[in-house]
Amino acid sequence: MHPFPIEESTALEFDFMGEIKAGFPSPAEDVREHLDLRRLLVRHSASTFFFRIDGVSMVDADMDEGDIIIVDRAVEPYNGCKAVCFIDGEYTVKRVEIRPDGAVLLPCNDTNKRFKPIPVGKDDNFLIWGVVTYVIKKA
Amino acid sequence: MFALADCNNFFASCERVFRPELNGKPVIVLSNNDGCAVARSNEAKALGIKMGDPLFKIRHIVEKHGVAVFSSNFALYGDMSRRVQEVLRMFAPSVEQYSIDEAFLDLRGMEHCDFDALAKQISRECQRLTAIPVSVGIAPTKTLAKIASKLCKRYPKLRGGCYIHRPQDIEKVLSTFPVADVWGIGRRSQAKLAQMGVETALDYTRLSETTVRKLFALPGYRTWKELRGEACIEFEDMVEPKQSICVSRSFASEIRTLPELTEQVTNFAVSAVDKLRKQGSMALEISVFAMTNRFKENEPQSYAGRCVPFASPTADYRTIVSASVSACAAVFRQGYGYKKAGVVITRLIQESGHTPSLFEDFDGARKEACLSGAIDSINRTFGPGAVLFGIQGDGSVRMARNHQSPHYTTLWSDLPTAKVE
Repeated sequence: MHPFPIEESTALEFDFMGEIKAGFPSPAEDVREHLDLRRLLVRHSASTFFFRIDGVSMVDADMDEGDIIIVDRAVEPYNGCKAVCFIDGEYTVKRVEIRPDGAVLLPCNDTNKRFKPIPVGKDDNFLIWGVVTYVIKKA
Repeated sequence: MFALADCNNFFASCERVFRPELNGKPVIVLSNNDGCAVARSNEAKALGIKMGDPLFKIRHIVEKHGVAVFSSNFALYGDMSRRVQEVLRMFAPSVEQYSIDEAFLDLRGMEHCDFDALAKQISRECQRLTAIPVSVGIAPTKTLAKIASKLCKRYPKLRGGCYIHRPQDIEKVLSTFPVADVWGIGRRSQAKLAQMGVETALDYTRLSETTVRKLFALPGYRTWKELRGEACIEFEDMVEPKQSICVSRSFASEIRTLPELTEQVTNFAVSAVDKLRKQGSMALEISVFAMTNRFKENEPQSYAGRCVPFASPTADYRTIVSASVSACAAVFRQGYGYKKAGVVITRLIQESGHTPSLFEDFDGARKEACLSGAIDSINRTFGPGAVLFGIQGDGSVRMARNHQSPHYTTLWSDLPTAKVE
């Protein structure tokens, strides 16, 4: 048995360590701390996917048009989770209320009554694709 | 014990990850240039579409049954393959990636496990975490594990996992398994076996040791032993450097001028050097070949190659690219339409074991190494093709990809959208 190489490819790192040619050696030389956004946002790299939001039915859940959501399939759907669901041939994001006989998909936009809760039974062509763990938005 | 995890109809399954509406529908994926079917969902197989069928031959089936057709999207397949591998590593200390869609797991030392439950669990977790269906076979040898994984595909009742180990079970399985489908039985052996009346894998195990050694040499003998439960194919979790590197493509349409052919060939050369450098090797030789379209019988045909040796082993972009340019000029003939071309770099040695000769230009070699290293790091940071040789044109290979799906998991511009209307 051989150890396998661990590939640590971090797309984005904040690393403020510089190289100093002469003079007093930096006392921070051995510090290997840095902030890696990927480590914060991606718990499971095998099962984490990114989606882009298109539409306004989730504005009260802080998901606006154009935001990027992070979806982790390793997270078991729980009552009240926000999840990417597949229904009627499309991906959508809803709050999921899990009930014994199925689930209800709730929009999160109180100002617009056009968005209605969608009850789904066990037989419906419906799938919770993955649970939303983070929302990335431009400030 | 060994496990073999094999992704079901991998490319077609990848296309379904972000298109769940295609579940239960026929899906095919085409080779480079949209030539022929290289992956088929079960529904597409049921329509009679065969591996390697050219698209024009099956177009009537595609249209009649609404088959979803995709061009190869290797960015997506590579990323999904990486995800499946990561899941597999959760289950075994040692994983050998055998191909983009298959991996062996070394389960030696895990004999306390309920292997049948483990096989099903690995399959279930791959599906849950990556949305890729995977068949997992566990058996005392790699060859038998491969057979066990194929049983999963044949019998959905196994729920993606199959463990075979008792001699009587193995015998029963082998008695229905065609010898031609056994891992390691090549096409030439198949013909020989058919003549001898050996049809099933079980028939093969019942040949005498001397017959097998005489007729099928060492590889055939190893397969024979493996089928009889004796593990003798090594577990290779460390990737051995390749002995030669080939990059070749067919073109969307025939190339008839030298500058155009040179542009393509240098693109292949650059990509080959990139692979060469990644495995830490140096090359002593490069060959360029080009061939015309053999299906156009009324056109003049040519298949030509030219080999250029290097004075000393090299992994330098400029040296290898300029050799490929001169080889290309030697291969090209006016009046021919080239359909396919490629480069092969051969006689590779490991850079770490290389002793330079007395007459090598050390200073030049050091400068070359710096420049090539800089090209590597720029292209790794900003994406392949960020820096190009002028002769590479825009760095793209002329390929038809009329049905390619978005690079859902590897480009920010291609993320899947979630509609929230």
